[in-house]
Amino acid sequence: MQVVNAQQIAVAGKVSGPDGTPLSGVTVSVKGTNNSSSTNENGLFSLNADQNATLIISYIGYKSQEVALNGRKTISVNLAQDDQAIDEVMVVAYGTAKKSAFTGSAATVNYEKDAKDIPVTSFEQALTGRIPGVQINTTSGQAGSTSTIRVRGIGSMNASNEPLYVVDGVPVVSGNVGQMNSAIAGTTNNIMATINPSDIESISILKDAAASSLYGSRAANGVVIITTKSGKAGKPKIDFRTSLGVTPNWATDNYKPGDVQQQIQYFYEIFHDYRTSNGYSEEKANEYALNRMNTRFGIHGYEFSSEGTGLYDKVIIKGKTDGVENRDGKYFDWNDALFRTGKYQTNDLSVSGATDRTKYYSSLSYTTDKGRTYTNEFERIGGRLNISQKLSDKVEFATNLNLNHNNQEGYNDTRNTGTNYMYLANNLLFPFYWPTDYKTGEDYKLRYNSLGYNPLYYDKQWENTSKTLRIVAAPSLTVKFLPELTGKTIFSYDNAEVKDHLYYSPQHYHPTNGATANGSVFEFSTNYKKIISSTTLNYNKTFVDDHTLDLLAGFEAEKNEVNYQYASGSNLPSSALHTVATAGIKDANAYLWGNNMMSVFSRAEYNFRNTYFLSGSLRRDGNSRLGPDTRWGNFWSLSAAWNLKNESFFAQIEDINLLKLKASYGTNGTLPTNNYGWRSLATYGYNYMDQPGGNLTTIADKNLKWEKSHTFNVGAEFGLFENRLFGTVEYFNRDSKDLLQDVNISLVTGFNSTLMNVGEINNKGIEISLGGDMIRNDNFRWSANVNTSFLKSKVSKLYGGKDITWWDPTGGDSRVQFLYKEGEDVYSYYMAEWAGVDPSNGKPIWYTNDGTDGEFLHEGRGATNKVSDAKQVIVGSPIPKAYGGFNTDFEYKGFSVGLNFTYKIGGKLFDSGSRDVAEDGYYWERIRSYYAIENSWTPENPNSLYPKVSGNDPEDGITRSTRHLYDASFLRLKNVNVSYRLPSTVSSKIGLSNARIFFNGTNLLTASKFKWADPEVNQYGTRGWETPFGKTYTFGLEVSL
Amino acid sequence: MKKKSLYIIALASLSLFSCKDFLDVKPTDSTDSSVTIQTLADAKVMINGLTRQLAKSSLYGRNLMIYGDAKGGDLTIVSQGRGLDALYVFNHSINNNNYSDFWTDGYNAIMQANNIIKSIDALQAAGTELDFNNFEGQALTLRALLHFELVKLYGKTYTQDPNALGIPVVTELLPTSAQPLRNKVSEVYTQIIADLNAAAPLLAKTKSNGYINYYANRVFLSRVYMTMGDYDKALAASEEIINDKVYSLYSNSEWVPSWASQFGKESIYEITLAKDQGDLGSSSLGFYYLRNKDNNALGNFTASDYFLDRLGQDETDVRWGIFTKDELDRQASCYKYVGSVDKKGDGKDTYTAVNIKVARLSEVYLNAAESALKKASPDKVKAATYLNEIRKRSPDLAAATSTSISEQMILDEKSKELYAEGVRYWDMIRTNKTITFNDEHVGVTMSHREKSINRTFYKTILPIPQVEINANPGLEDQQNPGY
Repeated sequence: MQVVNAQQIAVAGKVSGPDGTPLSGVTVSVKGTNNSSSTNENGLFSLNADQNATLIISYIGYKSQEVALNGRKTISVNLAQDDQAIDEVMVVAYGTAKKSAFTGSAATVNYEKDAKDIPVTSFEQALTGRIPGVQINTTSGQAGSTSTIRVRGIGSMNASNEPLYVVDGVPVVSGNVGQMNSAIAGTTNNIMATINPSDIESISILKDAAASSLYGSRAANGVVIITTKSGKAGKPKIDFRTSLGVTPNWATDNYKPGDVQQQIQYFYEIFHDYRTSNGYSEEKANEYALNRMNTRFGIHGYEFSSEGTGLYDKVIIKGKTDGVENRDGKYFDWNDALFRTGKYQTNDLSVSGATDRTKYYSSLSYTTDKGRTYTNEFERIGGRLNISQKLSDKVEFATNLNLNHNNQEGYNDTRNTGTNYMYLANNLLFPFYWPTDYKTGEDYKLRYNSLGYNPLYYDKQWENTSKTLRIVAAPSLTVKFLPELTGKTIFSYDNAEVKDHLYYSPQHYHPTNGATANGSVFEFSTNYKKIISSTTLNYNKTFVDDHTLDLLAGFEAEKNEVNYQYASGSNLPSSALHTVATAGIKDANAYLWGNNMMSVFSRAEYNFRNTYFLSGSLRRDGNSRLGPDTRWGNFWSLSAAWNLKNESFFAQIEDINLLKLKASYGTNGTLPTNNYGWRSLATYGYNYMDQPGGNLTTIADKNLKWEKSHTFNVGAEFGLFENRLFGTVEYFNRDSKDLLQDVNISLVTGFNSTLMNVGEINNKGIEISLGGDMIRNDNFRWSANVNTSFLKSKVSKLYGGKDITWWDPTGGDSRVQFLYKEGEDVYSYYMAEWAGVDPSNGKPIWYTNDGTDGEFLHEGRGATNKVSDAKQVIVGSPIPKAYGGFNTDFEYKGFSVGLNFTYKIGGKLFDSGSRDVAEDGYYWERIRSYYAIENSWTPENPNSLYPKVSGNDPEDGITRSTRHLYDASFLRLKNVNVSYRLPSTVSSKIGLSNARIFFNGTNLLTASKFKWADPEVNQYGTRGWETPFGKTYTFGLEVSL
Repeated sequence: MKKKSLYIIALASLSLFSCKDFLDVKPTDSTDSSVTIQTLADAKVMINGLTRQLAKSSLYGRNLMIYGDAKGGDLTIVSQGRGLDALYVFNHSINNNNYSDFWTDGYNAIMQANNIIKSIDALQAAGTELDFNNFEGQALTLRALLHFELVKLYGKTYTQDPNALGIPVVTELLPTSAQPLRNKVSEVYTQIIADLNAAAPLLAKTKSNGYINYYANRVFLSRVYMTMGDYDKALAASEEIINDKVYSLYSNSEWVPSWASQFGKESIYEITLAKDQGDLGSSSLGFYYLRNKDNNALGNFTASDYFLDRLGQDETDVRWGIFTKDELDRQASCYKYVGSVDKKGDGKDTYTAVNIKVARLSEVYLNAAESALKKASPDKVKAATYLNEIRKRSPDLAAATSTSISEQMILDEKSKELYAEGVRYWDMIRTNKTITFNDEHVGVTMSHREKSINRTFYKTILPIPQVEINANPGLEDQQNPGY
């Protein structure tokens, strides 16, 4: 207690936010002294101060104010929100840190402010282009699909490259869940979609070792820390939001087919050419080609003739009159039939508030996303309760509880079963194919030629749904043993139950489950359980004003268990019953797998006068995924920062508000993906004659060990001109060593590979983030920020120096091959090199790349017309030279407009779809894109993109080659947001504390070098038949009571 | 009180993880690979697992069977791209259509057999009282059979050059570092014969549905000797089966229905398929022979005109009964592997799960006939007798006599009898015949082979897969010529 001396007076006051709501917990301190107080729940404070003292009023997220008392005994202060929040508090590993004192590398997104209006079922996509050093890729535009996040490149070949996801302080289950992915290749069910984006307050991404090393073995690929909302001081607040998004069309063209006449001419040319090139006359060739069409399309009610017999003569299409439908002049538009206007709808209701002992936030939300694909739907209903209660001054008990149910159905993002609608509508189904038989008007059930089926009929013959029920309950107990010593224990129970249901009717064409099995039904239940107990002890004290010490020690144990059950039935009695109960043959399976981890960890932080910062951490992890001799690993980090602004020689420079330098070095680890990778196993289930059967399935190295990454980071943070311009620049270098690799071994051993710790990868890059308030006054604010990341990912070492070829895992359709080679980009495309078309005869030209002059020289290099003589070479990488985002906001009174651009410069994109729709006659049973037809060689179009159409088994177009490799650069207006907030004077009249309407447009503009389909591709840079992204227009309303 | 209970909660949550073996998490569907066989039941489990490997689509489940027919001239295709047509058009190279699964799955199955043999050897060395003989005999026989299939796929046929490169012989469980080189063809055959003969006394001389018995072992031995041109020994092996009369031939009226049942009276080794136990549904062997669009089948393969002419020597041949009209309106779609022309299957729930007949008595008679005809001192009477037992399935054809009998007659009969059973191509290669393909039905030009080929054509054997050479660089210099 301070003694009140003669000059001191008692001061009382009230602190409110910009809208007049009282703010609690605001620090009010007397400048130049240690004397301070804080506001209560009504925003009131009192303290003693010199009558001429100046009070400093500061609150997280608000701009600090200095108020000179000038003898006043009561004051009233309105704090303005600090959008720049240069010194915000960030959530970091096992606690929080002031940004100014943080020595590591991390980026934070204020989700509530920047991204909440974006219509996404899971938060990842809304982060696109907002965080330097972080790439967010989503392969599919289907509702509920999984995104990948890559923090600072690619650090592993065989183990995971996914970051660790931490929600409210505890790691959670992430990624794709359930079994649908193995039943229908290429589909995903994103468990992160069980977190309602509206519940998210902020997201921090930890990037370097200093920031993430405390998470040890799981953090080599960065950490995504999600903080959900909590109650704010004040009276109970009720928020309601509703929004409706419509997606009437795609963001770009996607392999648009040629028109009907173009298709039939192309078809005609293939067969005409086939005959003439094999010695037949034009007349014979014409007769043959017309005959081919008449057989093929005649059964669909069309007949064909031609104006002449030449290769390029016009084919005349007529409808037949011998059926119930005359299709003369009418064609079926499959794109129109299979895609609809998508509708995204979400309603969120939350109640929150806080007193000085209790904080609570509770929400309920309902979201539906009916995708563009007419069978694809996602539905979520969920609620959250975050509550904390002070039991005494020293003890606080809190629980975060999240309960969510997702329902996802109509997966069709695969080509394996011929149910992919993009693929069907743009490559397999001619406009001459109709869903009905022209003769009878009944459903057309036979396979169309080219493996395509009538989706409108067969969609009724199968169904697939995934239901995900997730509960995360994380109670915690915090005890302040001493003012400077705090203990905290969290127990988290994360349980996701995924139920996948798959049904094929006895009419379905599925290879094993449809007609041949007389119908099948499958029920998969996969239960993911993650239990974590984490206990930490934290000591934080400032000595003699100058030295601040922060020590942390902790213990953590984690148990992961996946419990799998499966039942199936085939030989179904009736198409009305879709249950295993009714099946003639039943099959079942059930077992569980998992892994456990135990850790101890510590961290020490020291700073001197908030100017010099030092930090170190050490963690020891033991994990069951490794053998007894190698399962324990040590991970550490060291870091330092220097806040120059606090130096006296810098303090004078008024234009510089912040200048901080920082550096760190440390290690992280990555575990094998496989739970039992170090064990040589025999597996059962190879039943024969209705009896059990077993096989040796793996041959393993029992001394398998951690992958280790060593990361160096150096950076600067600055703020200039009253923080009107601010930014960060960082450089990092990450060496990932002892990488696990599936080393190919001689197949004669009976195995194809064994897991070994052999590879090394280096990632390095520079990340720049710049922001500024161009205009800032009472009525108008214009701010902008841009971020750019430069990244290089190289393979530095491989087993025995030997190259390794591997396939893009996306979609399960072997769309492109990559090569790991020492010194090359981690993702290096490996394919034949296309040299273009010979203008004189329309033949394809290939570079041989075999060190010879080939059959002839082209552009001074050995070349050939035969694709089989072209060797595969490395031809580039999907890793861009630079990527990032550009965001700008305008605010005028209640209006605000925000633009969010994302871009990629450099890197290549492999267009696998064009192998199907832009080849030269190989797939003669399929339709072509308009660009393939318009750009193929003819005598009139000699300088063409593609060769002459050929009827002679040309493999050029379908070969994976640079013919389908494009510059991946693009710029996309990812989001545009326009909103209007009613002035509080108006809203209060209708009893609302806040009322706001908004519009959000997603993917409205795209500029790209690649024109045929959507340039926003997955991390492997490949585009195939996955559902593309749409343009979404969202309108919403939010009100608060 | 309140505080106390909270501390208890905290302690309880900690203690949850303090059990001793927390970091020792074992799989629940697998065991340590070193302890697979302890009991007789274990041995049976591993034999079952091995047989399921044989039933895979890459081996007897489909591709190995189709390989032996698609390349032999009895089949043709109507369109390219329906699947496995590369086998017919010979579009093989190191990287593409190299059918490396033969190599991969073949050696995997050999490894499974070696595990059984080595485990039993170890138990016997330790003085086990259990009688593992039958299981060891089965594993040895299958190891020999797999070596035999692989050496035919990758090495020149024995009678062409026994000193040519064959395949690596593997009789041990190899470590991950092993990089074995190819043995000579003759060395591979030496091991095959040694294994078959070592196995024979261990095996039962009774029927053993779904498993290898003594007679299956002898069928394989006869095939091996015929491939080596040692017809005396081939005849001895075949006659042992015939004379022991455990199996008997189907009568003419039994022949067509025999396809609709399991374990018929002439079936010596069948690999059993069932729903969820190797059934490939519409990817099954049977489906590859269905007529185009029958149950949405693609119509991958149909009989060549040459085969139809051969079977057409007798319009009343009973074997027409398993054929139905193909998309070209010829009686050429073979429904053996769906049980019957109305796809009844062989008595199980799914008609595509028809057991693969790896060895049956008809072949043995024809092998005996050919061996008798070609042995050091030919016995034409015997040859004609054995041939006629099968030839009577064409009632309108005159029986063979000691004067009319010829190799051609026997091979023709074998083509008719064993169509789609994976033997034609090997007969043509082994006896050095020219194979002519019926390319007239497919809509595009054949660019990967001539219309007629013989065993001097380099693509009559497959390339060692590039993926093997990458891991086992010594094989680079041992790649088959031409690739």
